[in-house]
Amino acid sequence: MNTCPGEPDSPGPYFIMSQPHLRFENLTKVYERGQVVALKNVSFTVERGEFLVIIGLSGSGKSTLLRCINRLIDSSGGSIFVDGVDVTELSNAGMRRVRRKIGMIFQHFNLIKRSSVLTNVLSGRLGYMPMWRSVFGLFTKTDREAALRNLDRVGLADKAYARADELSGGQQQRVGITRALMQDPDLLLTDEPVSALDPATSHSVMQYLEQMNQEDGVTVLASLHFLSLARRFGTRIIALKDGELMFDGSPAEIDEVKFKEIYGEDAQEVEVR
Amino acid sequence: MMRMIAPDLRRRVLGFLLDLGIVYYFIHGSMYLYLAVWGRKTLALYSYFKLQHDYAFFNPLKLVAWQWWLILAGTILLVILLRTFGRSLGQRATRFALQSVVGDRISLRQRVVRILLLPFSVVATPFQLLLPATRRQVATHGPLHDALSKTSVGLYIKPSDQPRRPIWKTQWGWVVLALLGITFFLGWVIIDAEPEALLSPSEETRRQISGFLRPDFTHLMTPEPALTQNTPEVEKQKISILNLMVITILMALIATILGAILAFPLSFLGARNMMSNSVGAMILYRFVRGFFNLFRSIEILIWVALFATWLGYGNAFTGVMALVIHTIAALGKLYSEQVEAIDPGPLEAIRAAGGSKLQIIRYAVIPQIIPSFLAFTLYRWDINVRMATIVSLVGGGGIGMLLFWYRHSRNFNELGAVILAIIIVVWTLDYISGRVRERIV
Repeated sequence: MNTCPGEPDSPGPYFIMSQPHLRFENLTKVYERGQVVALKNVSFTVERGEFLVIIGLSGSGKSTLLRCINRLIDSSGGSIFVDGVDVTELSNAGMRRVRRKIGMIFQHFNLIKRSSVLTNVLSGRLGYMPMWRSVFGLFTKTDREAALRNLDRVGLADKAYARADELSGGQQQRVGITRALMQDPDLLLTDEPVSALDPATSHSVMQYLEQMNQEDGVTVLASLHFLSLARRFGTRIIALKDGELMFDGSPAEIDEVKFKEIYGEDAQEVEVR
Repeated sequence: MMRMIAPDLRRRVLGFLLDLGIVYYFIHGSMYLYLAVWGRKTLALYSYFKLQHDYAFFNPLKLVAWQWWLILAGTILLVILLRTFGRSLGQRATRFALQSVVGDRISLRQRVVRILLLPFSVVATPFQLLLPATRRQVATHGPLHDALSKTSVGLYIKPSDQPRRPIWKTQWGWVVLALLGITFFLGWVIIDAEPEALLSPSEETRRQISGFLRPDFTHLMTPEPALTQNTPEVEKQKISILNLMVITILMALIATILGAILAFPLSFLGARNMMSNSVGAMILYRFVRGFFNLFRSIEILIWVALFATWLGYGNAFTGVMALVIHTIAALGKLYSEQVEAIDPGPLEAIRAAGGSKLQIIRYAVIPQIIPSFLAFTLYRWDINVRMATIVSLVGGGGIGMLLFWYRHSRNFNELGAVILAIIIVVWTLDYISGRVRERIV
């Protein structure tokens, strides 16, 4: 694992047994003064080390759910407990400390286009760095070495000094994964990580996520469109429809009937290998 | 197929008033033009229009006293006709149009019925609005002339199954053209344009042109005695073409650098996407934006005049300060527009990784805006160099001192030299900054 020395944030072994990693309690999010309901009373738990896949139509609330966890979006009601701590009640400073242990990967990569790959990766350490170091860009030697090691792990060591927008889609998403790795996260949120990628690259990126889940013990939440990927990589599946939780179980439990319930009558399953 | 009908009386009245204004503008403008161009030739016209003195009518804002009720009635009638037959400019501006409740096209009969019923409607509608029983009827079916002709003036939804009418076939298109035409004509007459003057240069003009063709560079490096009679020896050296040119370029450079440095932090305060967190922040945002707009509206020369009394007349520092103020405002506005145009994705990513506000700005915002910031700064330098050449007119320093002195003393040969020097320098700097900007962006 890529632990940086002196890091006090990881909870001890006792916590792993006693409480779930994430607990959602009646999470609700509305927009436009109640006109648009993005999430409605969503409640479920996530255990440590799970690879949870969230499926559902576009607009069913998957992105909103993920963004409520690290409070990129503030929820309208309900609570989210991360390791027993209610993040909906945290101050800004407290939230920043929680966020640095939660990695996030985005559908459109969200890299800093004009900066080098290395700078993008190192920006994952920003939550751990004192202000003066970050303003002048003085990353420590340890951080730099860790960054290069992680880039090697995803197979991009030779692109360390390339400009981020010179890379292909799959490579950019791998840079995003490396950035998240640098945070030494307990939890990884991935918002449609492979929606913008071709099938082969999708599979490859999902495999890196699986590696993080199985080798590093990171709890992964992924929102995906393709059920075949969900079945292949997920240990558990959650389905959202119109903001409500309507399925919570193992991948094998989704049959034709459930599929049509989730996606609607006209939906057809598409194989992505 | 029924189109959407939404009678909105307030907006209709607004459209009507707009048309009224436009048509009256035409009528007033035409009368003015008639009198100003042809009327000057026959004094009899003035007495016909009941004007006491001929100079009274050269004020374009003065209303014609001649039978104003006729003009008003004519205007209103014309507006009604324009709004009923075709889509008037007022209707276009308020996004309204005449639509039929039954079927797609409005028949001629419907239009005539509208016009005939209008006077009754104007009288009856206020009473209908007062009584609650009839108010709803007016709200759903519109005023009398709408309801009985089965038409309405409402929000126009462009049909996507039919091509849009080309502008030259629309009433409002022609009205716009006519507005431009009459305004141009009016302007031409009001400012007393005399194109014939271009063709008959005076003796002095000939001397000026010949002076430019034989520029006199005697004071290129030696100081001009006329301007240095009371100055100490050290200062005297500055008043030559080359030295003043250097001073001018440096004035612009200092002003641009100082202005850019000061505008940089202000630009974040003036960017909506950075300041939308709290009420206090939004107030600050409006304040900063207001400051930018205000200080930009005051042209640099006016700033120089203001600073001249404070910092000294004929002083290069005066020019620099005036340029700095204007540069801060202008660059601040350009910079904040750039900050507002950034991709929010990277900001989300840094925020999600636990970055503070400052870290987000340093790592996600700044890398996105640096190229355009540099380009704008160089562009501003160009402008400042140009302005620096003339700020001495109102009390700044720089090459303008020699420029205006030679002009004043009718020394056209040396004036030509100064102008030539300015052209060479400004053109070169323009070219260099253009090439550098190409490479940056």
